Amino acid sequence: MTAVVQQVGTTVARVRTGWRTKAKPGQLLTHLSLLILVLIWTAPTAGLLISSFRSKDQLAVSGWWTALAVAVTQEGTRLPTADSSIAETGLFVIRGRLPGTDMGTKIRSYGLNARDLTAAAPGESLSMQDGGSITVEADGSFEWSADRPFTHTRGPRLFYVVERSPRFTIDNYIEVLTTSGLGRSFINSFAVTIPATFIPILVAAFAAYALAWMRFPFRNLIVVTVIGLLVVPLQMSLIPLLSLYNDIAHAFGAADGKTYLGVWLAHTAFGLPLAIYLLRNYMLGLPREIMEAARIDGASHFQIFTKIVLPLSFPALASFLIFQFLWVWNDLLVAMVFLGNQETKLVLTGKLASLLGTRGNNWEVLTAGAFVTIVVPLTVFFALQRYFVRGLLAGSVK
Amino acid sequence: MSRPEYYAIENLGGAMLEQFAGAIVAVILAIVGCLGYFWGTNWLLETMLAGRRANADAETARRDRLGEQIRPWLFLLPALLFLSTYLVYPAIETLRLSFFDRSGSGFVGLANYTWLLADGDFRASIINNLLWLIIVPTLSTAFGLIIAVLADRVWWGDLAKSLIFMPMAISFVGASVIWRFVYDYRGAGEQQIGLLNAIVTAFGLPPQTWISIPVWNSILLMVILVWIQTGFAMVILSAALRGIPQETLEAARIDGANGWQMFYLIMVPQIKGTIAVVWTTITIVVLKVFDIIFAMTNGQWDTEVLANLMFKWMFVNVDYGRGSAIAVIIMLAVLPIMVWNVRRAKTEGEMQ
Amino acid sequence: MLRLSLLAAVSLMSGPCLGAEWPDLSGQTITIAGPYIGPDEEHFRAVLAPFAEATGAVVDYAGSQQFSQQIVIDTSSGSAPNVAIFPLPGLAATLAGEGKLAPLGDETETWLRDNYAAGQSWVDLGSYEGPDHVRRLYGFTYKTDLKSLVWYVPDEFADAGYAVPETFEDLQALTEKIVADGGTPWCIGIGSGAATGWPATDWVEDLLLRLESPDVYDQWVSHKIPFNDPRIVAAIELFGWFAKDNAKVAGGTNAVGTTDFSLSPQGLFTVPPQCYLHHQASFISSFFPENVVLGEDADFFYFPSYAGKELGKPVLGAGTLFAITNDSPGARALIDYLKTPQAHEIWMALGGFLTPHKGASLDAYPNDTLREQGQILLNATTFRFDGSDLMPGAVGAGSFWTGMVDFASGRSAEEVATSIEESWKALP
Repeated sequence: MTAVVQQVGTTVARVRTGWRTKAKPGQLLTHLSLLILVLIWTAPTAGLLISSFRSKDQLAVSGWWTALAVAVTQEGTRLPTADSSIAETGLFVIRGRLPGTDMGTKIRSYGLNARDLTAAAPGESLSMQDGGSITVEADGSFEWSADRPFTHTRGPRLFYVVERSPRFTIDNYIEVLTTSGLGRSFINSFAVTIPATFIPILVAAFAAYALAWMRFPFRNLIVVTVIGLLVVPLQMSLIPLLSLYNDIAHAFGAADGKTYLGVWLAHTAFGLPLAIYLLRNYMLGLPREIMEAARIDGASHFQIFTKIVLPLSFPALASFLIFQFLWVWNDLLVAMVFLGNQETKLVLTGKLASLLGTRGNNWEVLTAGAFVTIVVPLTVFFALQRYFVRGLLAGSVK
Repeated sequence: MSRPEYYAIENLGGAMLEQFAGAIVAVILAIVGCLGYFWGTNWLLETMLAGRRANADAETARRDRLGEQIRPWLFLLPALLFLSTYLVYPAIETLRLSFFDRSGSGFVGLANYTWLLADGDFRASIINNLLWLIIVPTLSTAFGLIIAVLADRVWWGDLAKSLIFMPMAISFVGASVIWRFVYDYRGAGEQQIGLLNAIVTAFGLPPQTWISIPVWNSILLMVILVWIQTGFAMVILSAALRGIPQETLEAARIDGANGWQMFYLIMVPQIKGTIAVVWTTITIVVLKVFDIIFAMTNGQWDTEVLANLMFKWMFVNVDYGRGSAIAVIIMLAVLPIMVWNVRRAKTEGEMQ
Repeated sequence: MLRLSLLAAVSLMSGPCLGAEWPDLSGQTITIAGPYIGPDEEHFRAVLAPFAEATGAVVDYAGSQQFSQQIVIDTSSGSAPNVAIFPLPGLAATLAGEGKLAPLGDETETWLRDNYAAGQSWVDLGSYEGPDHVRRLYGFTYKTDLKSLVWYVPDEFADAGYAVPETFEDLQALTEKIVADGGTPWCIGIGSGAATGWPATDWVEDLLLRLESPDVYDQWVSHKIPFNDPRIVAAIELFGWFAKDNAKVAGGTNAVGTTDFSLSPQGLFTVPPQCYLHHQASFISSFFPENVVLGEDADFFYFPSYAGKELGKPVLGAGTLFAITNDSPGARALIDYLKTPQAHEIWMALGGFLTPHKGASLDAYPNDTLREQGQILLNATTFRFDGSDLMPGAVGAGSFWTGMVDFASGRSAEEVATSIEESWKALP
């Protein structure tokens, strides 16, 4: 055994130095190609991130990539009614500021008709149908004055071209984060995800070892069946399985078979074929010599598995853990069917989907929602990255 | 709303704590249960076989052999139980339903299959699925491999990998919003809010209604899946690349291999098993691809695929017979992939 | 916050109003599954509160974006809720045929006929063939939408000197006048993700009701005349008159199929406006930009009928249907509760809700826009439901949608209607 451990130790040390080439002429090309690929891959995600800081109205009229530039937009507003006028030294005045303007914005021109936006430059006056004349300044403040009292009950409209420095809002995030019950659905998601990630890893690791390194009848048949089961469409298994759950629940006198246990077991089973397939492939690549040496030392399969194979398989276990975690965390269907979507049981994805509104009218919150949910899987990814990126084994020495 | 908001908040603390504790207990129970099973059965096996050591050597040898025969099944048992209940049973049930009518009560023989053969949507989906099967696994695996190799050679490789991985972590509901804003179309002369049309119009070309132009629209939908699955391929292949022994690479370098030769002659053959696994996995993902088409076009403009068609017949038209028949076709489509994997498993076996 | 306090006020106001004649259901749980999520869900909970208080029952509502899928799974697996709220009658009809729904009974049928405006049409909407092929009432319509509306910006009409058209001939003349003036009359977007095409089916249905008598419409919906009947093809072609002319649609014909219905009305409010008119149901106002004040910045008019045809003023609508999927005294009591005016007035006050209940006070609507729509619903002479909702799912939520997308992308009305007809004939 000690010899084996030593061997593993040196292998680890060897691999830890990594395969890093020294500076070469082709190095620049490597940097450049990778940079281009990363940029292409990141563009949609970046777009989503930027979009999440923009309002729904902004999203509907301009592309996210324009968010960082000075925007020139054409807007309209309705001026106040006579009620808000004040009397001033023989004049009647309505003062105010155009919506969304401040020191950082600049009015280029304005007009009283949507088709004539350049009727007046800032500082110039236009005469109004309801009496008097209006002057809009470059900073967006306006003054409408007349020598007779105002009587209009419906404010006239004013249109303007405005230059705006980039504008961002955290409203989308506020809407997501202040949803009542968000905290609870976070906990629900954890309650579903953690067991549903760990159970299949354990079950699959043992099975994968048996299928990779043990000799017994029907081994290849089982391997092939596992691959074949990867393709069973999830949608087809929902009804038979929920019927089974409900039958069991009814036998015990419960109303329905929707429990956390049911979701864990379902996710475990749906994740198993991929887990077994990936782990078996990885374990097959482990150096044969280590295992043979251990066998000669009198170690049983159980000892080889727990003391040698399991630690060596960390990269593969970590990769699968990430994928299973992601899949369960982002799943809506399985949780919806096997847990239900009562307020108390709703998982995070279900909660976000319900923010959409019956007709999907609040789709803009999905932009923020995507980043609220992504925090957890990304944390898991970063936490585990060192395991599968560094790599613990020396592959197959064939 | 029967209860004011504060009621919910007040109770949230207790309920959350309870749920959180429940989750932790469940994890511990699950892990203890699993470990307990594996260790327990192992202990049981060893105790039973180790009893009465005084017996003859022949007897010991026989028992050892018996142990060797039983142990694989102990390792496999939980997995086999899960697989047969949750996947084999529904698969058989699906096969049965495919010979029955829409409610699953009357036997109709092969009627659902003959209907399928005559259905235009089905034929269109077969063709589209073939396109998807050729393009997506190939591109995802290729990009995943290239990125994994390149990222190993630069100091910011980990950052690059994390960014490529991001699409996998974004839930599809979120991703569908952003892809809508990539393929969006506005009339010529208006400000484009779709990235693709913004690029096209920047070059002075007229904007296109991307998702309604057949074949191109399918390809643009495939781009979304490639975008997502490359992260998967990259992670798995990256781990495999790190597993190539240092000596092998050093030896090749001393022999004067250049970067391309290293990649093509040394790395790829070393990890070809893993490449096959990644390719197989993505191929199966493609066979099941559903949410992208459902959310973006729902099969309109000739973008129909089998999984979406199955979903329509199962849950929109509520016809279990036809839905199941399509599912059976999807399951049959995996056969060539299985055969290929068997062959691979056999050659591996010979190598051992 | 305003909405919250309004909700609180409403539940306070209506709580004690409910009489004492309600059965005591304490200790019982009534489970409801439905498609209302987000604000609709909050409002629906406000409606349920007085009922829960009066009966002592626990009312457990679960809303889902994927309601249709979930109800199919739950009813097939033996975990159906007591009451399900169907967004589409087609799915309810299918489940009724499989014996998954409980009939509501003659009393409810009579009640609907007497208390809903155009009562018989609501009875028809909720009546399906059961497993024994006998037609019974299974669905109780609650929360309706009005489809035959055209939205416009009154100020833009005033600036350009356009008048609200009173007849269909006027509407066509206005369309042509706007084109002649150099403007674009219509914003039409039929994109809707998985349901792309449905806004066009509303157009065709509305047009058919203006071209032909309601009988033809009924025959078409029930497949007594083929989908490619010349009269149907004519209605599709009339839609093409609006949608398949680059000059008449913002963004051109190409934009029709791919513009999302939710973003489509934005064109009314841009500066300068991209279009002047938008045909869409009552709910679309929730997709208008945030600062738009209904009745002031945006208004609607009735999609007019031909002066030259004696077809009255047909109105097209849709609604959600309550059905009992797991019978219990609580489920029955809930349906009875929906017959009270309070159950309607609570949601009317919260907005986004229309009802044909004659006993519910129009004063409950929070603004004139909704009140006028409610009035149209109550006054309708010819009321018809969204035909695509009534057709089998494979057609009404399948080939009809696809067909309209194909039509918008260039295929002829005849071709499209024929392929829809073929898909209908191929159904088992």
